[in-house]
Amino acid sequence: MGAPLDLFTAASAEGAWTVGEVTKRARAVIEAGLPPLWVRGEIAGFKAWRSGHWYFSLRDKSAQLRCVMFAKQNYLLPAPVDGMQVFVFARPSMYEEKGEFQLTVMELLSTEQGGLWKLAFEKAKASLTKDGLLDPARKRRMPKYPRRIAVVTSPDGAALRDIQAVIGRRWPIAELIVVPAQVQGNKAEASVCSALNRISRLPVDVLIVGRGGGSIEDLWAFNSERVARAVAAMPMPVISAVGHETDVTLCDLVADLRAATPSAAAEAATPDRGEVMLQCGVIAQRLARGLRMSSRRVVDRLARMGDRLVTGMQHRLDNNRVVLTAYGAHLDALSPLRILARGYAVARDEKGRVLKKVTQLPVGKNFRLRVTDGEIDAQVHRSPSPGQGEGVRG
Amino acid sequence: MDFAKQLERLEAIVRRLEAEDLDLDEALKLFEEGVERLRAAREQLSQAELKVKKVLEIESSS
Repeated sequence: MGAPLDLFTAASAEGAWTVGEVTKRARAVIEAGLPPLWVRGEIAGFKAWRSGHWYFSLRDKSAQLRCVMFAKQNYLLPAPVDGMQVFVFARPSMYEEKGEFQLTVMELLSTEQGGLWKLAFEKAKASLTKDGLLDPARKRRMPKYPRRIAVVTSPDGAALRDIQAVIGRRWPIAELIVVPAQVQGNKAEASVCSALNRISRLPVDVLIVGRGGGSIEDLWAFNSERVARAVAAMPMPVISAVGHETDVTLCDLVADLRAATPSAAAEAATPDRGEVMLQCGVIAQRLARGLRMSSRRVVDRLARMGDRLVTGMQHRLDNNRVVLTAYGAHLDALSPLRILARGYAVARDEKGRVLKKVTQLPVGKNFRLRVTDGEIDAQVHRSPSPGQGEGVRG
Repeated sequence: MDFAKQLERLEAIVRRLEAEDLDLDEALKLFEEGVERLRAAREQLSQAELKVKKVLEIESSS
C-alpha cells in the first residue's frame, strides 16, 4: 500500500485537522488504495432496515468488518442469516458520519449448498408444506368448458400474445380477462399479489399465471412465499407457467397445474373446439337414435298390445263358437222337423195355427198338413165323434 | 347459456332417450329440446372472435 500515511504533513502547524477533514481524507485514501474486492466471511448481526438497506458484519476468527448492502443492490436477493458463510464483492470505504471503516457490498453469494436462493426456497417450501399447501390432494381439476379465463402476466410480453393466440384458436367462446402485472423487478411481488387479489373477486373459471423467458433472477417474484400463498388461496384452479425447464418455482408448486410455457398453459385451460364440434355430432346421432329407439319401443308396445287384443278376441270368439254349436245341437234335437221325420204330421189352418182338436176340424174344413218333406192341402172328409180318428181326404 | 351446462343437459337428454321407457310424447319433447340445445351449442362453437378484457390497476372490480 505504498508509504505510511502522514496525515499531518497536509495540515498547517498552527491548526489541527477537523474530524470531517480526516474522515474525508481517510475515505479518499481508502477508496483510492483499495479497489472493489471479493471478501469471504461469516455474517453476523444482520439487520434489514425498513428502507430495504441491509447492515451486517463480516467476520472471521480474528477480525470483523462493517458492511452495508443498499436496497437497490439487494432487492432481488433473499436475506441471508447470521452464521452464513458468504462471499461479498464490495467497495471498501469510510462511513464518515460514524467514522467507521465499512464495505459497501454490491454482490453477495452464499457458499452454502445452492446458495442463498436455494436456502430461501427451501425455507419457504418447508413453510408451505407445513401448512399443507403442497399437498397433491389440493390440486383442483381444470374446468372442461371454461367461460372466463384470467391471465396474470406482463401486459406487453410474449406470454400474453401466445396465450391469447392459443385460446382464440381453441376456445374463443371463453372471455379472456387480462390483469396486467409487473412480473420482474422489485415491485413484482406486490404487483402480482395485487393482481391475484383482484382476480380472486372476479367470476373466473381458471387462472393462468404466466411469464415469458427470462433469467433465473427474474423468477424471484414467483419464488416469493407471499405470492405462493396468494396463488394457493385463489378460489379457482390456477395454472402456473412461470418456471424454467430446470427450475421449478414455488408458484409452480402451489398451482393446480404446472405448464412448461404460456402456450401450454392456454392449451391446458381450454378444450379444442373442433373436438367439441365432433362431440356435438356424436350427441346429434345419439339423439336421433334415442328417439328412434323410444318410438320403436312405443310401436313394439302397441303391436304387442294389438296382438293381445286380437288373441283375446279370437279366444272369445272361439268360445262362442263352441257354445253356439252346442246350442245348435240342442235346438236341432228339439226341432219339430225331427219329429216329422219320425212320421208325424202337423195340421195348420190357413193362418198357420196348429189344429190340435177335432172341434177345430169340422167337415169340409180346408187345412194344411206338414209332413217331413213338404206340405199338402187337405180337407176334412168326414167328421168323427170326438176321441175317434177320422178319415182325411187330401 | 353456459356451455358446460348445455352439454350436461344434452348428455342427460340422450341418456334418458336411450335408456328409459318413455311414451312417445315425452320422447318427442326431449328430442326437440335436445335438437334446440344442440343448435345453440353449435352456434356458440362457431363464434369466431375471442373477447379480451383488460382489467386495469385503477379500475374497481365488478
